[in-house]
Amino acid sequence: MSVELIGYGCFFLTMALTYAIMCLGLNVQWGQTGLFNVGIAGFVAIGAYVSALLTTPDTANRFGGFDMPILVGWLGGALAAALIAFLIGALTIRLRADYLAIATFGVAVTVQLCALNLERITGGPFGIGFIPRPFASLAGDPLLFSLFNLGVLIVVVALLYLALERLVRSPWGRVLRAIREDETAALALGKSAVKFRLQAFAIGGGIMGLAGAVQAHFIGFIAPENYLPMLTFQVWAMLIVGGSGNNRGAILGAVLVWGLWAASASVIASLFPPGQQARAAALQIVMIGVALCAILLLRPRGILGEEKVVSRHLGKLSSALRADAKPATPKQ
Amino acid sequence: MNPQALMDGLITGSMIGLGAIGVTLTYSILRFANFAHGEFIAWGAYIALAVSSALGYLSGGLLAPVGPFSFGWSLPISAMVAVVLTGGLALLVDALLFGRLRAQRGTVIIMVMASFGAALTLRSLLEFIFTSKPAYYTKALQIALPLGGGLRATPDQMLALGVAVVLVVAVHLLLTRTAIGRSMRAVSENQQLSGVVGIDVRKVVRIVWLLGAGLACVAGIMAGLLVQIRPHMGLDLLLPLFAAAILGGIGSVPGAMLAGLIVGLAEAFAVQLVGAEWRAAVAFVILVLVLLVRPQGLFGRPE
Amino acid sequence: MSGQVALSTRALVAGYERDLPIVRGVDLDVKQGELLVVLGPNGAGKSTFVKAIAGLVPIHSGATALGSLDITTVPAHEKIRHGLAFVPQTENIFGTMSINDNLLLAANILPKEKRARRIAELYAMFPDLGSRPSLRAGQLSGGQRQMLAVARALIVEPSVLILDEPSAGLSPKIVSEVFARLKQINETGVTIVLVEQNVKAALAIADRAVILVEGRLRHEGPAATLADDPIVAELYLGARREPNTVTP
Repeated sequence: MSVELIGYGCFFLTMALTYAIMCLGLNVQWGQTGLFNVGIAGFVAIGAYVSALLTTPDTANRFGGFDMPILVGWLGGALAAALIAFLIGALTIRLRADYLAIATFGVAVTVQLCALNLERITGGPFGIGFIPRPFASLAGDPLLFSLFNLGVLIVVVALLYLALERLVRSPWGRVLRAIREDETAALALGKSAVKFRLQAFAIGGGIMGLAGAVQAHFIGFIAPENYLPMLTFQVWAMLIVGGSGNNRGAILGAVLVWGLWAASASVIASLFPPGQQARAAALQIVMIGVALCAILLLRPRGILGEEKVVSRHLGKLSSALRADAKPATPKQ
Repeated sequence: MNPQALMDGLITGSMIGLGAIGVTLTYSILRFANFAHGEFIAWGAYIALAVSSALGYLSGGLLAPVGPFSFGWSLPISAMVAVVLTGGLALLVDALLFGRLRAQRGTVIIMVMASFGAALTLRSLLEFIFTSKPAYYTKALQIALPLGGGLRATPDQMLALGVAVVLVVAVHLLLTRTAIGRSMRAVSENQQLSGVVGIDVRKVVRIVWLLGAGLACVAGIMAGLLVQIRPHMGLDLLLPLFAAAILGGIGSVPGAMLAGLIVGLAEAFAVQLVGAEWRAAVAFVILVLVLLVRPQGLFGRPE
Repeated sequence: MSGQVALSTRALVAGYERDLPIVRGVDLDVKQGELLVVLGPNGAGKSTFVKAIAGLVPIHSGATALGSLDITTVPAHEKIRHGLAFVPQTENIFGTMSINDNLLLAANILPKEKRARRIAELYAMFPDLGSRPSLRAGQLSGGQRQMLAVARALIVEPSVLILDEPSAGLSPKIVSEVFARLKQINETGVTIVLVEQNVKAALAIADRAVILVEGRLRHEGPAATLADDPIVAELYLGARREPNTVTP
């Protein structure tokens, strides 16, 4: 009995951590750079499909199947997603903020469409199966298998977290923060805002692709219906709840929202008769949608709030301008 | 090349155009891309369905097809009710969500995010209430009548086109010749100055929601009549709506309609060339082209 | 000039941010029919002061009144209905709309019968605008834009007209034309409050001037004598900080 529980716990946590990777990617794009990506599902799908195509064995009626090692697949998936992110970013980054939103939305729709229709490449509505799992040799022992897979995810998330934390505090990260907080000042220092934003967007997209690849290899098969707007919505909800701008918040939000999602799904499903399960699922989404809007209204900073690195110094500066402080020199 | 694609394109295009007018108006006056606009289309269609069914229940005669059309009097009556109710829905969403975020001086991004959340909520609510099974206003079949030049159209289709034309002209006249239209154009250009000259901006915002949602409702009823009613019908139209609004130039009503027709025709002809399954990608291609070549659209002003 | 007060403020504190007031307690009485100039160095808060009166900048504390009517909490778009017209410094016309539409917009709050007549009166007052009423306002020159903005403000026959730096960006010749116009308008009985950086031109047409420094009223006096008063130069250059003095 407890073996099953641990097994379920592993599965739950592993899935939550794949979402955590997506959140970390979104945090780079949104939390650090202020770019609004409404097509997360598209970038995740790109990562998943590219990795699947690279690592699955050759099949007769489908392109790809290069039977490469898993890590090559993951890398390929991340790079492909990063490339598409770069292209879409380059197209819209100089325009209004919501044009990027619309364009990324278009990417997600188009990627899903391609996945559905390009049967010779993507397997069409049936997707791609037999994606190699890490530690496949242990498949005979479910508990050990789950634990090792969980271990892989924990390692990946930990490495990513550490790398991103270093990045935030690096000179590159500080410039990005400066651009987000006060673009004019940053530009005066000679930093090209466009270049930095584009790099951040591509990196975030690449991380999302990595998440898709990791998830694909964990589950073993992928299909176009895994990458609907719902996925984008889930990841946004996770980041907002956990605290945007904050890497720890991203991970926390992913685990929390995934837990809430699973819990509310089973609660609602139990309230409805078997024939009405589709309705139950719809109601669940309604509740999550309302919850997200409520958070945006009441506490848009989420649980852990936004991390202030550069802003700490700005905070000190503005207090010097307080009305009651007497200026030493006359105002210019 | 099948000339019927021209008819299909015009019809789809006029539906997209009506929706795009609403998007472009709210975008230019409220300053954010409203991802929930597609849901006004869907809700409009479903409200009309509910009212029409209720009327039909009360008096079966109302369902009997009128004239050459496939629907009875219940549909036009419920359409008028639906327009009012969909407008009310938009005002409700604004009062509960967007208006409050505006008061909190929310950034554009927060507004768009909220609209995304609202869209999902509204769509899923429809799915919850009506399930995802396709629904129809009427089961009566229609014969397409020849129009000449190899074109054929059903009476329903002709009516839909006619209604679209009338509405576009009416909205254009409203914006250019009436006081409220002038106020809307003023708020679209400079909200603060509008207040200074005596315009009640909040009243204008309410009217924009009513107008945008009303047009969306009509588009939804048209789509429901000519194709089918599904909870995802709004989502399916969202990308073409945005593409048309941007192609036409944000804030331009004639631009939105013209661009809607262009998108509709492009979709129809593309379907002829590469197959119906690629229909949804056409809007994306158009969007990318517009952003590459002329981001301000046909009638917009460069930023 | 009657002795009545057309516009007044009491201990007005205002600013964009709650914890950063720019206007720091200003008492001002503007007499009916006078042409008052608000002077002061850059950053003194002159613009913020009049914007607060107009309802565009939040008032933190204090009050402002139009005659005997308290308008502190009246929303911006209603102030004009009470007779307070404001011409902002920049973006003061709707460039995408025609001259006629700009005027029609403003005339909307008048009763229907008065609208056409009033617009015709303004076209007569500003023949430059009347000659091409369907011209897009964005295509007007700087001076003509200012005229349109003023015409727009006058449509409602305001009792008080506030202008924020109307001379900004205009050549000296145009400035003197604009100012001559304002003097004419003032002579018809409209109280005018003028925020200006162009001290000389402003004092030439004004009755009285006040000087704002760091959000507080530091000096006031008749325009004629103020031009030569050394205290003006001192306050502009900000050499010393003085308590609020009033020269007789």
